[in-house]
Amino acid sequence: MRLGAFAAYARREARGALGRMVFFAACLSVGVAAIVAVAGLSQGLRDGIQGEARSLLAADLVVSGSRPIPPALDALVAGVPGLRRADLREMATMAAAEGKGDAPGRSLLVQLKVVDGAYPFYGRLELDPPRPLAELLAADAAVVGPELAARLELSAGDTVLIGGQRFRVAGIVRSEPDRAAAGFAIGPRVFLDGAGLARAGLDARGSRIEHKALFALPGDGGDASEALAARIRAELPDATWYDVDTWREGQPALREGLKRAERFLGLIALLSLLVGGIGVAQASRAWIAGRLDAIAVLRALGVRPREVFALYVAEAALLGLAGSAVGAALGIGLSALAPLLLKDLLPAVPVRFFSPVAALRGIALGTVVAAAFSIPSLAAAWRVPPVRVLRRDAEPLAAPWAVRLGLGAVVLAGVFAAAWVQAGELLAAAGFTAGIAVAVAALAGGAWAVARTVGRGPRGAAPVWVRHGLAALARPGAATIGAIVALGLGVTVVLATQIVQARLAGQLGADVPTRAPSAFVVDIQPDQWDALRAQLEAEGAEGIDSAPVVVGRLAAIDGRPTAEAADPKTRPEDWEDGRRRWALTREQRITYRAELPEGNELVEGTLWSDPAHPELSIEEDFARQLGVTVGSSLTLDIQGVVLEFRVTSLRRVEWRTFGINFFLLAEPGSLDDAPQFRLATLRLPAERELAVQDRLAAAFPNVTLINLRQVLDRVSAVIARIGQAVRFLGLFTVVAGVLILAGAIGAGAARRGREVAVLKTLGMTRAGVAAVFSLEYALVGLVAGLVGSVGAAVLAWAVLTRGMEIPWRWPWGTLVAGAVLATLLSVLAGLAASRGALARAPVEVLRSEL
Amino acid sequence: MTKPVPRLELRRLTRRLPSGGRELTILDSVDLAIDPGECVAILGPSGSGKSTMLALMAGLDRPSAGEVLIDGAPIQDLSEDALALLRRRTIGFVFQSYQLLGNLTALENVMLPVELSGSGDPRGRAASLLAEVGLSERGHHYPAQLSGGEQQRVALARAFAIGPPLLLADEPTGNLDSATGGRVLDTLMALRERHGTTLVMVTHDPAIAARTGRQVHLKDGRIDRITAGSPA
Repeated sequence: MRLGAFAAYARREARGALGRMVFFAACLSVGVAAIVAVAGLSQGLRDGIQGEARSLLAADLVVSGSRPIPPALDALVAGVPGLRRADLREMATMAAAEGKGDAPGRSLLVQLKVVDGAYPFYGRLELDPPRPLAELLAADAAVVGPELAARLELSAGDTVLIGGQRFRVAGIVRSEPDRAAAGFAIGPRVFLDGAGLARAGLDARGSRIEHKALFALPGDGGDASEALAARIRAELPDATWYDVDTWREGQPALREGLKRAERFLGLIALLSLLVGGIGVAQASRAWIAGRLDAIAVLRALGVRPREVFALYVAEAALLGLAGSAVGAALGIGLSALAPLLLKDLLPAVPVRFFSPVAALRGIALGTVVAAAFSIPSLAAAWRVPPVRVLRRDAEPLAAPWAVRLGLGAVVLAGVFAAAWVQAGELLAAAGFTAGIAVAVAALAGGAWAVARTVGRGPRGAAPVWVRHGLAALARPGAATIGAIVALGLGVTVVLATQIVQARLAGQLGADVPTRAPSAFVVDIQPDQWDALRAQLEAEGAEGIDSAPVVVGRLAAIDGRPTAEAADPKTRPEDWEDGRRRWALTREQRITYRAELPEGNELVEGTLWSDPAHPELSIEEDFARQLGVTVGSSLTLDIQGVVLEFRVTSLRRVEWRTFGINFFLLAEPGSLDDAPQFRLATLRLPAERELAVQDRLAAAFPNVTLINLRQVLDRVSAVIARIGQAVRFLGLFTVVAGVLILAGAIGAGAARRGREVAVLKTLGMTRAGVAAVFSLEYALVGLVAGLVGSVGAAVLAWAVLTRGMEIPWRWPWGTLVAGAVLATLLSVLAGLAASRGALARAPVEVLRSEL
Repeated sequence: MTKPVPRLELRRLTRRLPSGGRELTILDSVDLAIDPGECVAILGPSGSGKSTMLALMAGLDRPSAGEVLIDGAPIQDLSEDALALLRRRTIGFVFQSYQLLGNLTALENVMLPVELSGSGDPRGRAASLLAEVGLSERGHHYPAQLSGGEQQRVALARAFAIGPPLLLADEPTGNLDSATGGRVLDTLMALRERHGTTLVMVTHDPAIAARTGRQVHLKDGRIDRITAGSPA
């Protein structure tokens, strides 16, 4: 068959099949839209991050760490011509408004940023009034974020108390370039300069300070900063304790987070495309069934079997391409809406939403899915016997089992290939494919079992419309199984996300044990503790607990220097490596006490059992990350004093009590004289929290009170946002499912028309017929809803109990609501799809049968 | 003068079909030779094996035993693809139920075999054939918009589109009233005459069969008798 003839026939084949073609294409459009929206958004964000890399760093190169930047760095960079440097320190502390008379002013936890030098080198720091930061800041002047100004009712020229010292509010900061990359913020921003910090006295021991040195290299095209970064990593003493980032690396941590999100959301989006694939398979089967005569004629006219097959596959691929292109356009539109949906979650970089790569990926995946899901149905075209032109009853020959297996493999391969593209990882793709296979098998099995039970069950006593509706569900070839699987998958995704998120939020908020503390107080100097405690007790605080905290770093494990174990060049995308490096190089906080704290359980060794050595007890997971066990020796550098400890026990900690817990617990006596501060937890009645916080901030300005409830609220809000995004994507799966249900019903429109005619002729009213149909659709929806709910429960259970170790609770309300909604949706879609059939007059239908 | 190679020859042609657990013999060891340009009718009651014989002649079905030779070459062992190519070049069809493709216009239905064969100007060829069957004005109509007689005439035009040496017709007037059927048959015979086509026509109507040169009477899968009559 010549290509021209092929194309001509393919074009003519499309005639009079607009409805079928639109359905076929729409099945794909929905999923492709979801895929392109996710891919386009993440590509746009990646480009934005790359494009704004200098602004997001505010510099060409940044050295950061939880320890002061060593003077050795000055020597290292001394020879670089034209180099400029600015130093930042960031910490959490309390800010308060001035009191009036005896009443203390309002207080709030803030993120302090102390600037020495010409910050920022890149990007815009928007200030009000619009003047350089250095001009606004002074030893007695601060620039504050708008949230702080609002909460403390401050305006320019007012006074804010930081560390107990009065600072004039010299300006408001509207936006800062490197905050976009910082992610979760614990409180509003306050800028001070170095002199201001010294005056506030917050650089004292105990405060957790993040130190940063920002560098600008004149005319840096990327190579210069990377060369300098490499030299710093190689030559800076204790380089392990610092992160060295250059703008050209473009926020590897942020991009890694983005990649994970993209992988997860991309697979959820893929699910809606695969559900669309079920519709494609159904449409293809109906299409071929209606074309058997034409195919037989073609065969009689001398068209070869493989040409017939190629004709229909090409047609399907073209339709897939068209549907995918429409979906891609929709997806681009959707990703432009995303910033509205996700505004607190996205880094604030300019994003260009049209990403050709994302659109192409969506179109390619849509076409692959169209091919993979239509080929098994279209393969029947290969086996249409040409003798059908003479004998109408000659049906397509049954496929040999090897061919059937092959066709099944085509679908699986298509799913796997698509998952691989979306996940970018072989293992994840295999897992996803297996999960889908299990879910589809479960849904199809459930649907089959229900249809069979209904078909066999007694229904003699039921009213006629119930009997008829039940019978319709169980009718052979009712095409309901596909619809149930499609809708059920959608229900699974949406409900599972809902359950996990609700449970997480519950776990973070309402489920916090009633005896859990409501606030942490940090940075308490040892000589302040008695007075602070007395005040807390006077304020009615309950369950006050406290522990001394000694800050140090891990110098060596079993004599091997930590710097060797923690390679600073570990790849940020390797999570295990990252965890290990974090464990080794973090600022270690150590407490000492005689007994095992509440909520702790020894899993190995004995507490304080070795009279010969100072002893440590380590939390079991942390020990695993460090790679130590009972008997290991740990060398700790406590602000210059080196002490060696022997690990004599491992502990399991019940973190959910929110009590005071430490990875490292030292034997009493070993650290009593080390520099230390005190950490306290307490419980306050919710209505008095803010007032107590204000009075505490006034009386102990260096002490920081972290209100657990407020922090949890912020975390819950972020989780809710993520949940919204996931559910939004999951909705695409539901839409695809409903579409397929409507398609399956629409495909049987002719048969339904006859059914309506017969029922009406027999005296059933139109409402009666609608009731019969509604019951059938309701049953389809109910089965999909029930099986989907069970699937969601299993999925959520696995994620919660296995992934997050949150105890399981049956979310009956959500599951029932899901099943009910699926039922309603199914009835609505079904009645809409059979509207035409319901409206037909009996005589018209019966006449057309003649 | 040597006898020419038959256009179509059946040698001990047998077709058995499984039916209700046992084999049913539809066609039983039939021998028949049809010369180029000859016009033959296959007659017989329902179930006598007429349509099966026609399907075997076209390579639409495979014999259980025996041979089908077209221009002296056996076709029963050809692959599906080779059979398709053979039909494409050599065999035209007319069916009782017309078998026009519903989503193609009359003109496009006629163009299809020409397009398949890859020979030049399908549109012109199809238009001239539609003119031959008297349907020049109906080329842009879809089959559903044509009467039964018109549809069958389109089918005739399609059958002759590539000028096949062999035309197989299965009850070509079976679905038509006698007046219309008569006109369609006239057209068929005229086309056959003009193109010099060998025609094998299945019918159960002796009046129609009488217009062919030879009548093969089938009964229970065997040739009962062969009669000769004057060609139309």
